[in-house]
Formats: sequence, structure tokens, C-alpha cells
Amino acid sequence: MTRAVTRETLGIEGAYAAPGTQTERALAELWSERLQVRPVGVRDDFFELGGDSLLAADLALAVDLAFGVEVPAAVLFTSPTIAALAEAIDRAGGAAQ
Amino acid sequence: VSADLADPDLHASGRIQAEWRRLRESRPVHWQPGPGGGFWSVTRHADVDRVLRDHASFTSRRGTLLNLLGRPDPAGGRQLAATDPPAHDQMRQPLQRAMGLRPAGSLAPAIRAGVRGLLGPGLTGEPFDLAAALVGLPLVLTGPLLGLPAGDWPSLARLALMCSAEDDPRYQVGGDRDATLRQAHRRLFGYFVELVRRRTRSPGNDLVSLLLAEPEVAPGTVVANCYSLLLGAAVTLPNVPLAAVPELARPDRYRWWAGRPDLLDTGVEEALRWASPASHFMRHARHPVEVSGVTIAQGDAVVAWIGSANRDPAVFTRPEDFDPARQPNRHLAFGSGHHYCLGSHLARLTLRVFFGELFATCRRITVLEEPMRVRSTFLSGFTRMMVALEPTSGRCQ
Repeated sequence: MTRAVTRETLGIEGAYAAPGTQTERALAELWSERLQVRPVGVRDDFFELGGDSLLAADLALAVDLAFGVEVPAAVLFTSPTIAALAEAIDRAGGAAQ
Repeated sequence: VSADLADPDLHASGRIQAEWRRLRESRPVHWQPGPGGGFWSVTRHADVDRVLRDHASFTSRRGTLLNLLGRPDPAGGRQLAATDPPAHDQMRQPLQRAMGLRPAGSLAPAIRAGVRGLLGPGLTGEPFDLAAALVGLPLVLTGPLLGLPAGDWPSLARLALMCSAEDDPRYQVGGDRDATLRQAHRRLFGYFVELVRRRTRSPGNDLVSLLLAEPEVAPGTVVANCYSLLLGAAVTLPNVPLAAVPELARPDRYRWWAGRPDLLDTGVEEALRWASPASHFMRHARHPVEVSGVTIAQGDAVVAWIGSANRDPAVFTRPEDFDPARQPNRHLAFGSGHHYCLGSHLARLTLRVFFGELFATCRRITVLEEPMRVRSTFLSGFTRMMVALEPTSGRCQ
């Protein structure tokens, strides 16, 4: 089991924005598990946190199962933040299963 | 002073062939220092074959393309091409099984229709950019194979080129190779995520549905496989006929092969050898290992130049002749060993259909100006080839 790294180690410059809503908290947990970064802020960029297209595809499909809705893949690939993804999930009526 | 084998311009100029010949003759296992730690080049057929086969000595996990030298391969251990046996074989089996469920021949009518669509507009005798037209050839195969809507084919073909020839300014966005790769990867993976979702909801008899039905294959893996299949086809297919055409442009040679349907299969193999569209694959030594008397240190990068192996006079009689009747033809265009191209049978089918259609519809090809080569150390091919295709009488008047 690899140990999670911090945002500082990765050189993330923006201030840490803690997850507020339930959807954001559930997403932050999902991202931390997959990226092995802890904590992750809601405005952090998935790809700057070490994510790549392969991981993003896995994550998009994992979100389908975790929240019971399909968010267009373009959301994660072009607006790769927890804030944007959470908003899209909430708008689609999804909830952590 | 040796040429810089990692310089895309050396490849784009075509001078790479002379450099490979020099290395085969005088320094078959050659070290080139440089940024990223330097790399070994092997250029003889026997050594290239050995490096590609010997996964116990040479790993694929640390990147298989020269442009990844000195950087970790993000796909290492997660994608077929960047994985070693036994994990590689476990990943490959379900894909191979799913690909075998439908006989390849069942795709032939769709491929034939697609090839006709690509060649049709050129069968006028007027100047025609065959390279631009054949950008569509990979989708003529992967479209029906994966069940992709025809309206999506042109943009997918372009994205695949951005992923495989990112050093070529013609395919770059923003004049920057990293931005080009980033944009193309995100759009392709996003596209295949949506495809996997559609097929999860309503399966068909396409390869994506068949893969999703495999119990041990995760949906994310299906996305990765779609990407690998599209890229594999995009790299190989167009450049095989394109490499052959200038050799066939002498009317007697073209007519001779076109008139010998019995030589269609050997001719396709010769076109594969001649084109060697995947110019190299890279490996890293797992431990100190000797290749043709030279000791390669643990961790060193080794580039196996397929384009060079396929012109090695130790294996091919008169290697600089394009001979559609050549037999045997032990070319390495599809690689060798465990990573041997998974889609080789489909590529061969597509190429046989292509040349068959070309011979049936076109009685003479003239190359009108010097073709332009791709600027890439990996992808050996053409970005522009102006030709005149003279239609067989009775067609396309």
C-alpha cells in the first residue's frame, strides 16, 4: 500500500478549499483513494494532482456507480475539479449510494 | 560523429535509412548519450527480435517509446503495451478472446465499402492527396470493429494522429507537443467513456460489448483497450500503402503486381516490411545483459529499431528492393514475442482489401511531387502524397 502524498509535495499553489457538501466530501474521498493524495481541495485540478486520462476514465465510470448518475465525461476531462463535478452530479439528481 | 537518432528531423528527411545501414554494419549495438540518460540502439534483425522477445531481460513497464525517455510512463503496468508477462498475458487474453468471437472476415464487406469511399474521390486522374485520404483508413477498420458512428470517424482519426505524431507541426495544437498530447488524450478517453456507457446500457455485437461481457474486465480497462486499438490502427494502416505507392509508381511494376492476384498476400507482407510504420519500440534492461558482445547495464534504455531490422541484408536478399513476391519475409513490422500486434490479422485483412480495391479500380498511379514524411521518431509515414489515380476504363468517367 503506497502512502498518500500531500498537495504541498505536488506543488499545488492554490489555497486548500475543504469540501462543503455531502457530494463534495464523497468525491474528495474517491479522489484521495485513487490519486493517493490527501487531502484534496474542491478547486484542485485532477490532472495537477497526478491524475491522467486513464485514471480519469476509471474515475468517471466509478462516479456512475457511486452516485447513481452519469455525468458527461467532458465535465471531468475539461473542468477537472471536485467543485465542478459535484455541481454536475447534484444537478443530475445524484446522491452517494 | 554519429547522427542523433532521437531527432525527428533525421526521420522526416529519410536520412535515417543511411544512418541505420551504417550502424548495422559498424556499430550494431550503439550508445547515444543525451538528456534523459541516453539510450542504446540495436539495428540488426537478430538483435531487434531478441530485445523485443526477451521480456525476462528487457521490461516494457518504463515506457516503450523514445519520446518517454527519462520520464516514467504513466501507463506502466496499466496498459497492455506498457506491461510485462505474466500480468501482460492476463490482460491480453480477454481482449484476444473477444476479438476472436467474430470471424475477422465478417468485417470485410464494411472495410471494402469504407475503402471505396476513401479511394472514390481520387479516381479521376486529377491530383489527389492520398495521404490525406488514407487518414481515414484506420477508422474503416476500427469503426465497424468497435461500432463507432461514422460521423465520429474524422475527428477520431485526427485525435489519433495528435497522439502518435505529436512532434509534427501539422498535427499540433498551440504549437506545443505536450498540449497536443494532453488535449488529444482527454478527448479520446472522454469519448470512449461515453461509448462504454452506451454499450453497458444497450450491448450490441461489437467488440466493446463483447469486452464488457468478459467477467474479469473492468469498464475502465475497456476504455484503455479502445484507445490502444484505435492508436494501433492509426499508426500502422495508412502508412503501409503510402510507403508502397512510390515503389509501384513505375507503370510496369504496378501493372505486374496488380495482374498477379496470387501475390496479394506476399505483396501485403512486403508493403509491411517496406513501410515499417512503427519505427521502434523501447525497453529497459532489468539486469546487466549482453547483446551481440556488448554489455548493457541494468536500467539502461534500449531502442529496437524495427525499420532497420526490416532492411537487414543478413535476413532479406536485396533488402532495398520492393518485391511483392518476396518469400520468406520474416519482417518485424508487427513486433515480436508477447507484445506482437494484437490486431495484425485485422490489419492484414484491411490491407488485402485495400490493395484489391486499388488494383480493381485504378490502372496506373503517378506520384506528382516529392511526398512529405511525418516528423516523428516513432511513426514512419507520410503527411502528404500527391498522386494521380488513373481509373480502370469504364469507371468514374
